Amino acid sequence: MLAHRLIERFLPSSVAAAIVGDLIEREVAGARLWRETAVAIWHLRDRTPPQVETMSTFISDLRLAARLLGRAPTFAITAILTLGIAIGASTAIFSVANPVLLQPLPYRNPDRVVVVWESERTGRRSTIGFATIRDYIERTATLETAAAFGSWQPTLTEGNEAERLTGVRVSATYFRTLGVTPAFGRDFRADEDVPNVPRTVILGNALWQRRFGGDSGVVGRQISIGGTGMTVVGVMPEGFDDVANPGAEIWRVLGYGVTDPYACRTCRHLQMIGRLGPNVDAERAASELTRIHGAIVAEHPKDYASVGTQVIPLKEDATRNYRAAITALGVAVILMLIIAIANVANLQLARLVRRDEEFAIRTALGASSSRLTRQLLTEAFLIAVLGGMAGVAIATVAIPALVRQLPAQLPRLGAIRLDWMALAVVGTVVLVLTVVVGMVPRHARRAATVADGLRAGRRLTGTRQSAIRGGLVVTELAFALMLLVGAGLLARSVVRLLSVDTGFDPHNLLTLEVNSVGPRYQTDAAVFDYHDKVRAAVQALPGVVSVAVVNQLPLGGNFDTYGIVAQDKPLANPEQAPSGDRYVISADYLRTMRIRILEGRTFTEAEERDSVNLVTLVSKALATRVWPNESAIGKRIRMGGPDRPWRTVIGVTADVRHSGLDATVTQQFYVPERQWFFSDDQEVLVVRTRGDPAAMAGVVRQAIRAIDPVQPIVKIAAMEQVIAASTAQRRLALVLFGCFAIAAMLLAVAGIYGVLAGNVAERTREIGLRAALGATPMSILRLIVGQGARLAVVGLGAGLFGAFALTKSLQALLFGIGPHDPTTIAAATMLLLATTLAACLIPALRALRVDPSQAFRND
Amino acid sequence: MLGELEQIVLLAVLRVGEGAYGVPVHDEIVRLAQRDLTLGTVYKTLSRLEDKGFVRSYEGEPTPQRGGRRTRCFAVTTAGRKSLEATFATLRRMAVGLDVGLEPT
Repeated sequence: MLAHRLIERFLPSSVAAAIVGDLIEREVAGARLWRETAVAIWHLRDRTPPQVETMSTFISDLRLAARLLGRAPTFAITAILTLGIAIGASTAIFSVANPVLLQPLPYRNPDRVVVVWESERTGRRSTIGFATIRDYIERTATLETAAAFGSWQPTLTEGNEAERLTGVRVSATYFRTLGVTPAFGRDFRADEDVPNVPRTVILGNALWQRRFGGDSGVVGRQISIGGTGMTVVGVMPEGFDDVANPGAEIWRVLGYGVTDPYACRTCRHLQMIGRLGPNVDAERAASELTRIHGAIVAEHPKDYASVGTQVIPLKEDATRNYRAAITALGVAVILMLIIAIANVANLQLARLVRRDEEFAIRTALGASSSRLTRQLLTEAFLIAVLGGMAGVAIATVAIPALVRQLPAQLPRLGAIRLDWMALAVVGTVVLVLTVVVGMVPRHARRAATVADGLRAGRRLTGTRQSAIRGGLVVTELAFALMLLVGAGLLARSVVRLLSVDTGFDPHNLLTLEVNSVGPRYQTDAAVFDYHDKVRAAVQALPGVVSVAVVNQLPLGGNFDTYGIVAQDKPLANPEQAPSGDRYVISADYLRTMRIRILEGRTFTEAEERDSVNLVTLVSKALATRVWPNESAIGKRIRMGGPDRPWRTVIGVTADVRHSGLDATVTQQFYVPERQWFFSDDQEVLVVRTRGDPAAMAGVVRQAIRAIDPVQPIVKIAAMEQVIAASTAQRRLALVLFGCFAIAAMLLAVAGIYGVLAGNVAERTREIGLRAALGATPMSILRLIVGQGARLAVVGLGAGLFGAFALTKSLQALLFGIGPHDPTTIAAATMLLLATTLAACLIPALRALRVDPSQAFRND
Repeated sequence: MLGELEQIVLLAVLRVGEGAYGVPVHDEIVRLAQRDLTLGTVYKTLSRLEDKGFVRSYEGEPTPQRGGRRTRCFAVTTAGRKSLEATFATLRRMAVGLDVGLEPT
C-alpha cells in the first residue's frame, strides 16, 4: 500500500514498523489512512538537523580535495596533464574541423552554391571553356544563376611598392551566385562583363585596409594594376572569404566575348559555379547539365573529349582534399580522449586502494557513506576542472600552431579560433565521464568494510576492482593499437611518397618567382631581355652553379597544360589528343634541374634565338604515348591550335612528377622560351647552388632587385620545401597521428604497469606463501607476466578489429600501402606487446624479490 | 508538570499495563478520554515522554494480523509514575477549599 510505503520511506524503520503494524491491525483505510499517514510522517520524521547540502560543504569538500591532491602530486599531475592533453587536442582539432568542414559557408543559402565540372573519360574532372559555360547558363533551368571564373595574378603597382596579389576574373553574376554583396560600393554590372569596356575591380577587405588605409573614398578611383588603370567599384565585407578561390583579395570582371580566341570551346581554362534553384538538388542539376552537355557535344563533336558534367556542392568541393585528414584526426582525437579518461579512472582506482585505511578511519569516526562518496565526487570534479583548464591552455597554443601547418588553400582558415562550444562539449563530456568513472572505484570498494580497511594487510584482493581496472587497460591497449597502426600506415606512406623519384634533383636548388609587369615590359623582347639580365646577374654570384628560368615548377601546384598534335598521327577529334605540361625554359633548365635526357639532346642558346627552326623536347611518357614503337626524335608536334607552327622533337627527357608525388605521371614537353608564342610575365627562377640554397636567398634577391627594384619577387623557397609543401596534408596527419599514438601507447603501458604493480602489492602475501611452499622464480614470473599478457592479448585482439575499421577511413591519406598492410599491423602489434610485457616485467621482478618472512611480518 | 496529552497517554499506558502498544493505548484514549487522536500523535507524545525518561520502549513480537511487523511496547518508568503523582498532587493542592465541585473526593 502506498501510504504504508510512504511511512516506511520517511520514518526510521522501527517507528515505521510500529505504526504501519498498528494501521494494518486496525484495518485503517481511506481518508483516515491518509490523515494518519500525514500526521505520522509530520510528527515523527527525523528531526536531527540533516546534513545540509549547501555550497559551504561543497567548498570545504573542494578544499579537502585540493589538499589531498596536493599530497599526491604525481597522481594529480599525471591525471591533470592526461586530461589536459586530451581536452586540448580534441578542442583544437574540433576548432579547426568546425568552420572548415562542418559550419555552413557564410553565404546566403550556402547549401545551394555548387561547382560545375566536366568529367573526362578517365573519370577525372576538367575545367570548362567560356563558350560552353555560356551554353550551360543559357540552357539550364535548374541553376538560378551561374558564373564563370578564372585565376588572375595581378600586380598592384600603387605607390612605390609592387605587390603580387591573388585575384580572380569573374562573371558579373559571380557574387550574386555565391550569395554575397560588397560591404559598400556596388557589385559588378552585366554591361561591364563585355569586351573592350573600362575594367572594374572589387577589393577584398584586408587588401583595402592594408593598401588603401581603409579609405572608403577608394570607390570610384582608378588603381594601377600592372600599369593599367582599373576602377574600384566596391569593397567586400570584413570576414568575406571566397571559398571557391582561397586567398583571393581582388576580383575583376571576366569581360570575355564569344569571338575572343581564348573564349573557344577547347580553351578549357575556366571554372563554373552555380546557385541551385529552390527545391533543386545537386543530382538533379547534374543530370540536367549532363543532358545539356550531350546536346552541346552533338553540335560540336570535334571540340569535346569530356563525357559528362559533375555538380558538387561548393563546401564539399572546397574541402575534398582535406576532409579525409581532418576526419581521421577527429577519430584519432576521440580515441585519445577515451584513452585519457580510462587512464584517469585507472589512476583514481589505484589511488583508492592505497586509501582504504583513510576511508576506514573516516567511516569509523562517523563519516557517512554518502559523505565519502561526495568527497570522491568532488575530487574527480576537481581533477576534471583542472584538466579542463590545462586543456584550454594547450588548445590556445595548439590552434595557431595547427593553423600554420594547414595548407593555405583550405577554406575558412581565417574563421578558425578557439571554439568555446567545442571546449564546452568536450569539457562536459570529460567532466561527466571522469566523475562517473571516478564513482566506479567507490562502488568497487564498497565491498571493503571498515574492519577490512583497518586490519592492515588483510585487504580484499578486490577481484571486482581488478576486473574494472583490467577492463580499462584492455580499452586503452585496444585504442592505442588502433592509433599506432594508423600512425604506422601514415608514416610508411610519407616515407614512400618522399622516396618517389621526382625525375629531378631537388637538393641544393633555390626557386623563386620573378615578375615582369608594367610599362617597361610591354613587348616580348623586353621580357626576354629582363630574364636574360636576371639570369646573368644570378649566375655571376659566388656559390651559384647554374641558373635557368621556367614558366612553372614541377610539384609547385601549377596547372598549365596544352594539347599536343603529332604531324604523323592525325586524329579525327583533336580534343582526344594527349595533353602535356608546358615547360617554357631557358637553355640551362634541364642541366640546372638535373633532368636526365634519355635520347637525343637539349638545345643551345643559339638555337633558342632561331625563330624559324623550332625545337622541342618531350618526356618519356609523352613519347611512348604518341610513338609507342618508334623513336620520337625528328618527329614534329604542334601545341596551341592549328595555326601554330610545327616543332621538331630533338630530345626525350625523363618524366618529372608534375602534379604531385602521389599523382599519376603526367606528360611533359619543353620549348625554348623565345620560341613560344607569347612571353610569361611571371617566371620561376631555378638556381642550383653549391651549398645551402636557403642561405643564398638574400643575395639572389638583391641581385634581381638591382636590375628592377619594383618587380615583386615572391615564393622564395628551396625546392625541397616546395616538395614538402606538396605533401603537407599527409605530413600534418602523420605528425598529429604519431603524437597521439605515442601518447596513447605511453598511457596504455603505464596503465597496465599500474594494474600489475598494484596487483603484486596486494598479493605480496600470496606470493610469499607460494615462495615459501617452494614455487620456483620462473613460476612466479609466469604468474605475474601471464596476467599482463592475458590483458595485452585481449586488448590487442580488440584493437586489431578496431584498426581494421579505423584504417579504412585513412585510405585516402595512404600512399603505396594498403589500409590493412600486414607488416605495419604486425609491427605495431609487436611494438605494443613488447612494451606491455616490458612494463609487466618490473612488477614481476618485484614479486620475485618478495621474501616470505617479510610478507607475513605484519600479521 | 506534565501536559494534558502527556497525562492522558501516560495514564492510558498504565491502564493497558504489560505489553502496551499503539492499538490498545489508542483504544483506551478513545474510550475514556473520548478524543479521536491519530496514532501519529500518540507515538509522538510517547516519544517525547521517552525523551524525558517517563516511559521506556522495547520491541514486541510481530504478529500476522500486523503484516508481520513488530509492535513497539511501552512501559511507564518510576520517574513517569512519580511525575504523574506530582502532577495530581499539585492539582489537588490547587483545588482544596474551592467550592466549585473540583474538590478531591
